[in-house]
Amino acid sequence: MVIGVVALVYLDAQIRHRFEGHRWSLPAKVYARPLELFKGQKMAAGQLDYELTQLGYRWVKHANAPGQVQKTNQGMAIYSRGFRFADGNEPGVLVEVSLQQNTITGLRQPSGAGLALLRLEPQLVGGIYPAHNEDRELIQLNDLPNGFIETLLAVEDRNYYSHYGISPWGIVRALWANIQAGAVVQGGSTLTQQLVKNFYLTDRQTLWRKIIEAPMALLLNVHYSKDEVLEVYLNEVFVGQAGKRAIHGFGLASRFYFGQPLSELKLHQVALLVGLVKGPSYYNPQRYPKRATKRRNLVLSILAQQNLISDAQKMQYQGLPLDLTGATQVSRYPAYMDVVRQQLQQHYQASALSSHGLRIFTSLDPWVQHQADTAMVEQVLKLNQRHGKIQGLQGALVVSHRDSGELLALVGDHNGGYAGHNWALDRSRQVGSLLKPVIHLAALETGQYSPATIINDAPVSLQQSDGTLWQPQNYDRKSHGKVPMYEALAMSYNQANVRLGMQVGVDKVLQQLKKMGVDQFIPAYPSALLGAVEMSPLQVNQVYQTIAGNGFYSPLSLVRQVTEANGQLLSHFPFAVRQAASNDATYLLQHEMRMAAHYGTAKGVYQYLPKQQQVSAKTGTTNDLKDSWFAGFSGQHVATVWLGREDAKPTPLTGAGGALHVWAQLMQHLAYTSYKDIKPQLIEYYHLNAKTGKAMPNNCPNGVWLPIPKVSAPAFNKTCGY
Amino acid sequence: MYNNQITCFKYVSLISLMLVLGGCAATGYGPVVEDLSVPARASERLPTLPSKVPASIQVTPAPSAPVVTAKPKAYVAPKSVVTITAQPVSNQVVTVIAVPENASVATQAAPSAAQKPPLPASDQAVVEQLLTEADQLKAQGKVTEAVIQLQRAQRIAPREPKVYARLAALQLSLGEASRAEQLALKGLTLVPNKKSYQYYFWKLIGASRSNLGDSQGEAKAIAQAAKYK
Repeated sequence: MVIGVVALVYLDAQIRHRFEGHRWSLPAKVYARPLELFKGQKMAAGQLDYELTQLGYRWVKHANAPGQVQKTNQGMAIYSRGFRFADGNEPGVLVEVSLQQNTITGLRQPSGAGLALLRLEPQLVGGIYPAHNEDRELIQLNDLPNGFIETLLAVEDRNYYSHYGISPWGIVRALWANIQAGAVVQGGSTLTQQLVKNFYLTDRQTLWRKIIEAPMALLLNVHYSKDEVLEVYLNEVFVGQAGKRAIHGFGLASRFYFGQPLSELKLHQVALLVGLVKGPSYYNPQRYPKRATKRRNLVLSILAQQNLISDAQKMQYQGLPLDLTGATQVSRYPAYMDVVRQQLQQHYQASALSSHGLRIFTSLDPWVQHQADTAMVEQVLKLNQRHGKIQGLQGALVVSHRDSGELLALVGDHNGGYAGHNWALDRSRQVGSLLKPVIHLAALETGQYSPATIINDAPVSLQQSDGTLWQPQNYDRKSHGKVPMYEALAMSYNQANVRLGMQVGVDKVLQQLKKMGVDQFIPAYPSALLGAVEMSPLQVNQVYQTIAGNGFYSPLSLVRQVTEANGQLLSHFPFAVRQAASNDATYLLQHEMRMAAHYGTAKGVYQYLPKQQQVSAKTGTTNDLKDSWFAGFSGQHVATVWLGREDAKPTPLTGAGGALHVWAQLMQHLAYTSYKDIKPQLIEYYHLNAKTGKAMPNNCPNGVWLPIPKVSAPAFNKTCGY
Repeated sequence: MYNNQITCFKYVSLISLMLVLGGCAATGYGPVVEDLSVPARASERLPTLPSKVPASIQVTPAPSAPVVTAKPKAYVAPKSVVTITAQPVSNQVVTVIAVPENASVATQAAPSAAQKPPLPASDQAVVEQLLTEADQLKAQGKVTEAVIQLQRAQRIAPREPKVYARLAALQLSLGEASRAEQLALKGLTLVPNKKSYQYYFWKLIGASRSNLGDSQGEAKAIAQAAKYK
């Protein structure tokens, strides 16, 4: 008796601890950026459909409920779900979106009134889980769709609301039903018992566990109301496995299988979810659709047997497809989530992140990320085909928004997933010619240079601190004589650029680099000028972000806001800039990099892009082709690609032969808004003889238009000759 | 006391139940319970899953998270090179020369809202709406929310100088003079031929520098502004 009491008190404490723990432990939810639709907005082909699919929207004939979308003559009618953002509540609305050639031409409400802006709910892209990878999306009883509880109880525990946590009668009845059916069709343990079992389930089913299960169920029943226990059960039940991620609770299961919030589910979907409880992997609807359909239809039959639905309804629902989501499911955005997690861990305790249900709003752009993953996978495949299998070829891709500096997408390895290393930020490699724009910026900053300044591309020989000679050569092993500065960059001539860097001073160049966000110590050796500097793709992107940002450094960011589960704002990361170079010098550099894309080493991008799309870019190749780099920007996006071998051995790839293709394919699939860099007031375009740097009449052949500071306006020749 | 009695009663009844059930488990009920969980269900679990509540999760009532005013450590990438986070805005309002966007910069006529410099036609409605919302939020004292709205506008119309003008003015009114100055400088790169904006931004830069105690810089900015008056 005494032992019994002691045991009971012990069990009681344990079960309460478990129960309370499971009520409150909620992973932080991480959201992508919400898609904002407005008149004049350019979408990429297929983007809107993709985004709606990822959000679990259903195409219907007449959109009349949140989460539905309907084709119309003008475009589509979207019934948004509404969402509580950090800056306020966005109600769900029905809006007709007119589209012409992927441009939004208008937004209209059913009343006919125009709408300036429609903000869709953001895609939930993940959670910050504790070490055991359990995932769940907390639901409450009032989130359940019609018929959910009835279906669940009909199948799993008919007397739930009247038993004491265990139900001997239920066991007898289940036994009888099973005997009648000749198979196990009903379970006899109550939901309460199932919950207890879930709390303690490990691979070892000890006798002790069996003995304590029933009293624990009774204790739960004593301490908590039926609704409380049910709610925990709904969130606790195991309903699937996605890779390492265990899918717990019907809320997440609904997202996982249907891509929809639980509240939107129809009865045939409810029946499938409830049916899955019996064996999530045996009935896995993605892997065994026939088995799953059979199980679902059995559940529907049970509902009809118990007169919860009519036979006609049963037939109707049984005739429906499984309606699984078409959205991508497997471990999405690992590289991006990795950085989100790292950043958050600087501000929040691990326990807060994995158990308080914080809401993290990021700048992740699902479309850009999708295109980035696709470009990496497809181009790596092509390169492997073209060059024969390149052993251990790895890759990384970073994409940010040109003006805000927000990170939109990260690819951490060659196949879009990653295990171990996130090549976008964990690994630094020599950047090679990607540093040349920084030499030019440092030179242009002095006011002594312009894109037309003549530089000698003759061989260079420099004595290093250890007395040895450094004699860098051009990639084609030729010297090109006297060349204008823009050509030295566009053609990536090593000799001319080293000479330019030495004229400006290695220390000046490195100071410029530092202003652009590269903090590590770099010894001021001349070899640094040709990129004997190790940087991660993320760092490179930061440097190019500053060039794209008209000389203003904005720290790459990815968390916009953090709120409590109830929407209360906790943190906010405001946009900030710091001038790192003059607007004039940066504009001249942007132009040189545009020429690299139009005529120089980066011109391969126009195999993918329309000629009128303005991009500025630079290739990078390191010694012995160990690294293939490409970095640059369009009007909207800054992106950096790195390809190379895991073991840092040579590849057959130059920057233009490898990374360029990934970069250009990505840009090809992003929305393109026509854009021209804004010319500063003190800069003017002149028609020049590039060999002499002198201006000449506009109709002269072989002239080139170059931007030059007005103060150093070139002399004008009336004839085309020298 | 009454509660205690109830609890006590519950325990007594539970103890008797437990004794009964202990017997049940030994005589066959237990195995029935397990059988009914269906073999599939038991094998669903990853065998490697540890106990359900790891030690790292603590059940505490409130997150020990920074509030908006807290100054978080800058995020440092593993190689400790790229700083990814900006500092959060401080919501303490320092007494400064406020620069109301609609009225005047510091002292005198800046581009008033009535002048409304032309915006790109396609984006105008949406930008105007977000700027209005930001104004309303600011008027309600919801400054952070106002900044969030302005950043939304910036993403939608990234080269709209008006957004920079508002962002800079708001930061200045929050006492973040250095941030305001930089935003205005960036704004200037967007308006090479728009005098009213150039005037406005230079005035704002002057006010920011004044706040920062940089009187030389302030004088330069005022001289620049004078060119565009």
